Amino acid sequence: MNANHVVFNSDGTKIAAGSSDFMVKVVEVTDSSKQKTFRGHDAPVLSLSFDPRDVYLASASCDGTVRVWKIADQTCVTNWLLLQKCNDVINAKSICRLGWQPGSGKLLAIPVDKVVKLYRRETWDHRFDLSDTSIAQPLNVVAWSPCGQYLVAGSVDGSIVVWKVETQESIERTKHEKNYSICGLAWHPKYGQIAYTDTEGNLGLLEDIGDGKKPNDKVASTAAKDYNDLFDGDDDDYLNGDAIEPPSSPTTGANEDHGDDDDLMPTASHPRRAMLDDDDNSLDIGMIKANCNLLEKDDDDDDQTGGFPALPASSTQQHFYDGPLPTPRQKPFQPGSTPAHLMHRFMVWNSVGIIRCYNDEQDNAIDIEFHDTSVHHATHLPNSLNHTMADLSTEAILLACESTEELASKLHCIHFSSWDTNKEWTVDMPKDEDIEAICLGQGWAACATSALLVRLFTAGGVQKEIFSLPGPVVSMAGHGEQLMVIYHRGTGFDGDQCLGVQLMELGKKKKQVLHGDPLSLTKKSYLTWVGFSAEGTPCYVDSEGIVRMLNRRLGNTWIPVCNTREHCKGKSDHYWVVGIHENPQQLRCIPCKGARFPPTLPRPAVAILPFTLPYCQVTTEKGQMEEQYWRSIVFHNHVDYLSKNGYEVDENATSQSVKEQQELLMKLFALSCKLEREFRCVELADLMTQNVVNLAIKYASRSRRLNLAQRLSEMAVEKASELATALEEEEEEEEDFRNHLNAGYSNSGTERSRLPVRNVQQDEEMEDAEETDECEEAEETPEVHKQRPNPFSKGVTSAEVTTAKPAVIASSSQGRVNPFKVSSNKKDPLVPSASVLDNMSKYSKKTSSSSRAVNKQNPPVIKPLIPKPKSKQASAASFFQTRTPNSSEKAVEERQEKTVEERQEKAGRESPEVKVTAQDNTENKRPKTGFQMWLEENRASILTDNPGLNEAEVIKEGMSRFRVLSSEERMAWTEKAKGRAVNDLTEDKKRKRPTAAEDEAKKNQEQKSEDSNLSKKTKTSGQSTNVRLSAFAFKQS
Amino acid sequence: MEPAEAEFLAEKELVTIVPSFSMDRVHLIGGDLGPFNPGLPVEVPVWLAVNLKQRQKCRLVPPAWMDVEKLEEIRDQERKEDTFTPMPSPYYMELTKLLLNYASDNIPKADEIRTLVKDTWDTRMAKLRLSADSFVRQQEAHAKLDNLTLMEINTIGTFLTQALDHMYKLRTNLQPAESSQSQDF
Repeated sequence: MNANHVVFNSDGTKIAAGSSDFMVKVVEVTDSSKQKTFRGHDAPVLSLSFDPRDVYLASASCDGTVRVWKIADQTCVTNWLLLQKCNDVINAKSICRLGWQPGSGKLLAIPVDKVVKLYRRETWDHRFDLSDTSIAQPLNVVAWSPCGQYLVAGSVDGSIVVWKVETQESIERTKHEKNYSICGLAWHPKYGQIAYTDTEGNLGLLEDIGDGKKPNDKVASTAAKDYNDLFDGDDDDYLNGDAIEPPSSPTTGANEDHGDDDDLMPTASHPRRAMLDDDDNSLDIGMIKANCNLLEKDDDDDDQTGGFPALPASSTQQHFYDGPLPTPRQKPFQPGSTPAHLMHRFMVWNSVGIIRCYNDEQDNAIDIEFHDTSVHHATHLPNSLNHTMADLSTEAILLACESTEELASKLHCIHFSSWDTNKEWTVDMPKDEDIEAICLGQGWAACATSALLVRLFTAGGVQKEIFSLPGPVVSMAGHGEQLMVIYHRGTGFDGDQCLGVQLMELGKKKKQVLHGDPLSLTKKSYLTWVGFSAEGTPCYVDSEGIVRMLNRRLGNTWIPVCNTREHCKGKSDHYWVVGIHENPQQLRCIPCKGARFPPTLPRPAVAILPFTLPYCQVTTEKGQMEEQYWRSIVFHNHVDYLSKNGYEVDENATSQSVKEQQELLMKLFALSCKLEREFRCVELADLMTQNVVNLAIKYASRSRRLNLAQRLSEMAVEKASELATALEEEEEEEEDFRNHLNAGYSNSGTERSRLPVRNVQQDEEMEDAEETDECEEAEETPEVHKQRPNPFSKGVTSAEVTTAKPAVIASSSQGRVNPFKVSSNKKDPLVPSASVLDNMSKYSKKTSSSSRAVNKQNPPVIKPLIPKPKSKQASAASFFQTRTPNSSEKAVEERQEKTVEERQEKAGRESPEVKVTAQDNTENKRPKTGFQMWLEENRASILTDNPGLNEAEVIKEGMSRFRVLSSEERMAWTEKAKGRAVNDLTEDKKRKRPTAAEDEAKKNQEQKSEDSNLSKKTKTSGQSTNVRLSAFAFKQS
Repeated sequence: MEPAEAEFLAEKELVTIVPSFSMDRVHLIGGDLGPFNPGLPVEVPVWLAVNLKQRQKCRLVPPAWMDVEKLEEIRDQERKEDTFTPMPSPYYMELTKLLLNYASDNIPKADEIRTLVKDTWDTRMAKLRLSADSFVRQQEAHAKLDNLTLMEINTIGTFLTQALDHMYKLRTNLQPAESSQSQDF
C-alpha cells in the first residue's frame, strides 16, 4: 500500500512509515529486516513524528485519532480523538503533520482544525492551544524551530503563523500570495528562515523570523520569495541533468516569469537543491529531506535558550559572486518531440507523420503513423533497444538510442521507400559516443553525437561525410538537401542560451550557407523547435513562442514571423509547433492548455495560426499594409531559392503574389497621396515595378499632383535606363559565348533601333490599348525584376532570355537567338514573314505540350520579352501626360468612353465574328499607328537636330513634332498605318501568344482560331484588371 | 417526412475531419470543399465525412458537444425541466447515429455517448407524448412547442395530425347522433 508519510528519527537510524493499509512501520535503516509494526488505526495513516528521544512515535490517521506509540513494545500509549474522520488521505481536510518539541520532546504539537494543540509528554494532558485570528482554514503542517521555542504552522489556505510557545503569542503572520495550500515547512537550522512548499509545487522562503522586536499585531514584513514553476515537469527537464547549476543562486532558467529572481539571496542551498531533483509527485520526499536537515541540527540547538543566534545581516553573511550567472545549457532535443521521461510521448510530430512511444509496465513500443496514408501504412514496432530519438520523412524512419552498459549507441533506419527487400539498417556508434540528435533529409540521414561529430549517411546506409561541431549539439533538422545544426557556441548568462547555427547544402555542390552564426533567441528563452518550412526555409521557435524564419533576401538574417504567445488565452498556455507552410501561409501547431507540449491522449488537434511580422502600428491602415507587403515578400523568398536550385516553382502562385504586392504598394501610394506625403509616394514608387509606376504616375496626375507625377516619371525613366544598362551588361557578357555572331553591331545601336517600333504607340487615341498592355505586363514584368538581383544565376539561358526580346521570333528556328539580326529585322516592319509565324507556333506548342520540367525552363525564356521596351514607351507616355496635363485629362475621359464602347462591342459580337473582333482588338493594341510610322520616318531628322537625346527624349520630341502637324497629315499617316494592319496583326499574334500560353488556356493553342481567341482573351482579362485598378484609383481621388 | 429524409438533411451539417490524403479544393454545387492536407483538420459535410471514413481516408474529430460531460449536463437539464431544452445541434440524434455507426473508433467513450443521447431522446419523447396527451385531453385549439428538432417533430407529426383528424370526424359524427336522439324525444 502507499506510504503516506515517511520520517527519520533524530539520529537517522530508523525510518517510520505510515501507510494507507492502516499500519505504521518502523524500520532500521541499516537492517531492513528489523521491522516493527504498529496496528491500531482504523483508517489510512496521515502523518508521523518521531520523539526526539526515540521513545515514542506519534501518528495521526484518517480515523480522526492521534495515537502515541511506545516504539520499544509497539503499544499505543495514548489516543485522542481530535480530527475529522474521512476515508482516505486525499479526502482529509488537513494532512495533520505533527511535531515533537525538539530536544527534550516535552511537547507534542498537533494541528487540529484552526488551532495547534499542545500535549505534554508522559502525562499526555492537554496543555494549551495556539491560535490566531488570521487563520481561517484548517492547519496542515506544524514545525518546531530547532531551538524549540517557536512553532510555525501552515494552513490549507496558505497562511503561515509563527508563535513563541512560551508566551503563546504569534510573532509572525504571512499569507501565501496565491493562497495555495501549505504542505511543508522547514526551519533553517541556524537562522531565522523558514522554507515552505505548497501543493502547486512552489517553494518559498520566509526570512528574518523571530527577531522578536516586532509588535504582535503587525503582519510580518517577511520577504516571501517564490520559486515558481520549480517543479514544472517540462522545465526542469531541460535544467536538471546539467550539473552546472550554480549553488546558492536561486536564478534558474525556469523561473523567468518572476522579476524578483534576479536579486540574489543567501539561502541555504540544500533544501532547494534537494527539491530540484524531484519531480512534482514527490514533494514529500523533498520535505523529509528538509526535515532531516533539521533533525541533524537538533543537538546543537538543544541548549540554546535565547532564541536564534545573533544573526548578522544576511546579505553580508556569505561571500558570493554577484556578476552575471551562467545559464545551464539546454539539453539536446528532437524537434517535435515531448520530454523523454514521459511514459507516453511523441518522439516526433512533423508534416509527414507522428511517431509515438509507449513505455509502461506491459509494453515498450513505438507507433508510427503517417498523415498521408499513401506514403506508408501505420506501423507498430517493439522498442527493445529503448530508442529515444526519432525522425520521419517520406522515405524513411530514423530511430536512435543512447548507449547502455553493454550496448553501444545505435542508429536504426527503416528505409521503407527502398525498392529492395532489405529495408532496415543499423549502425553502432563507436564506444563512448552517444547519439544526441538525428535528422533525415532527402536521400540522407544525419546524426550528431556526444563526440561533437556530425555523421552523414545515405538513406541506404552508406557512411558519408563526417564533420566536427564547434560545440555540443542542441538540435538538427533536414529538408531536401539542406541540413541545419544548432549547437552551443558557448555559455549563456542570466538565463540566455548561447547558440550557433550551421546551415549546409549537401547536394552535388556541397556548401555551407550559415557558418555557425549566432542564433537570435528572445531573452531568457531556449530553443523549442527547429525545422524547415514545407518550402525549405529554415525556421525555429523559442520558449517564448517566437517563430523566426531565415530571410534569404536580407543576407540570411532571421526575421520573427509569428508570436504564438499572442494567440494564447492563458498565461500558461502554449502552442506546440509541428510545421510551417509558406504557401499558403500557415503555422501548424497544437494548442496546449497549461502546458508546453500536448499529451498523447486524447489525440491533440492541429490548429493553424496566421503569421504576423512585428511591424509598428499595425492597427493603422499604413502599418497594416506595410506589414502585409513585407510579409508577402518574406514568404516568397523561397521561390527565388527554389528556382535557383532547380526546383519546380508554381508560376501561378508567384505571379499572384507579385500582383498582391504591387496592389499593396499602389494602395500605400494612394494613401500617402491622400495624406499629402509626396516624398513618401516617391519612395514607395521606388519599390514598384515599372508598369505599376506608370499607374502611379497616372494616379498622381489625375489627382493633380503634377510635381509628384513629374518626379515619378523621372524616376521611371531612370529605372528604365538602369534596366537597359543591366541588360546591356548581360549582353556584353553574352558576347563571350557567341563571338561568331558579334558582327560588329554596336549594342547601343541595336537598342535604339528597336525601340521606335514600340514607341509609336503614343497616339492619344490608342491609349486605351496601351492600358490593357500595361496590365498584361503587370504579370510579366516582375520576372524581369526578379532576375535582376541575380542576373547571372541562371547562366546562359537567362541571359539569353533577357537579351532576346523581340528577337526570339525571328531566330527561334536557329535555336539560338541573335538579338542583332532580329533588331534589324524589326527595324523594317515590312518584313513580317510567314515562316516566322510558323516557327513561333511550333515553339509555343512545344512549350505548352511538353512536360512541366521543360515548361519550367521555358517560361523565363519567353516571359521577359515585352516588358523592357514597353516600359520605356510607357514612361515616355507619362512624360507626355505631365507636359500636357489638360489633354491627358481629356484623354482619360475619352479612354473611358472608349473602353465602355469596346466592351459593348465585344459583348455584341458572337463567335462567328471572332475574326473581326480579333482584328479590331489587335488593331487597337497594335503599336503600328500613324505616329509610330511617322516617327520612324522622322527619327533621323530628330536625331540630327538634337544629337544628345536619349530614347525617351526622342519620343517626346517626336511627339511634340507630330502634334504640330496638320490634322490632314496626321490622318494620312493613320491611313497608312491602317493599310499595314494586316501585316501587323501577324506580329501581334506572335507577341501575344507566349504570354497567353503560360498564363492560361493552354489547350486553346491547338485550335484553329487560337490566335484570335487568345488575343481576345488576354485582352479582356487585362482590361478587366485594368478597369479594376483604375476604378480603384478613381475611388481614391 | 421519413426519418431517412431527416437523416438526409442532417448529412449537410459540417463536421471536422483529419484527412489522410492530399487533394486540392473540390468545387461542388453546394460549395467548395477542401483543400485536403494530410494531418490538417478540415470541415466537410457529414455525408463526405462518412464516406471518407468508410474508405479509411480520414479520422473524424467529434463535434464539441459529443462529449460525455456535456451530454450528461444536457440530459440532466432535460430531465429537470418540464419544457424542452435547446439541443446542442438541430440534428443531434441523426449525427449521433451516423457518427457513432461509422466512426465510433474516433469518438472517445462512444458507448456512453450513445446511451446519453438515447436517454435525452427518451426524455424528450416522453415529454412530447405527454404534451400531446394533454393537448388532446384539454381539447386545445393550438399549442406551441419550442426547441423541437426536425426528427422529433417527424416522430409525432403524422400520427398526431391524423389522430386529430379522426377525432374530429368522430366528434362531428357524434354531434348529429346526439341531436337526432334528442329529436326523438
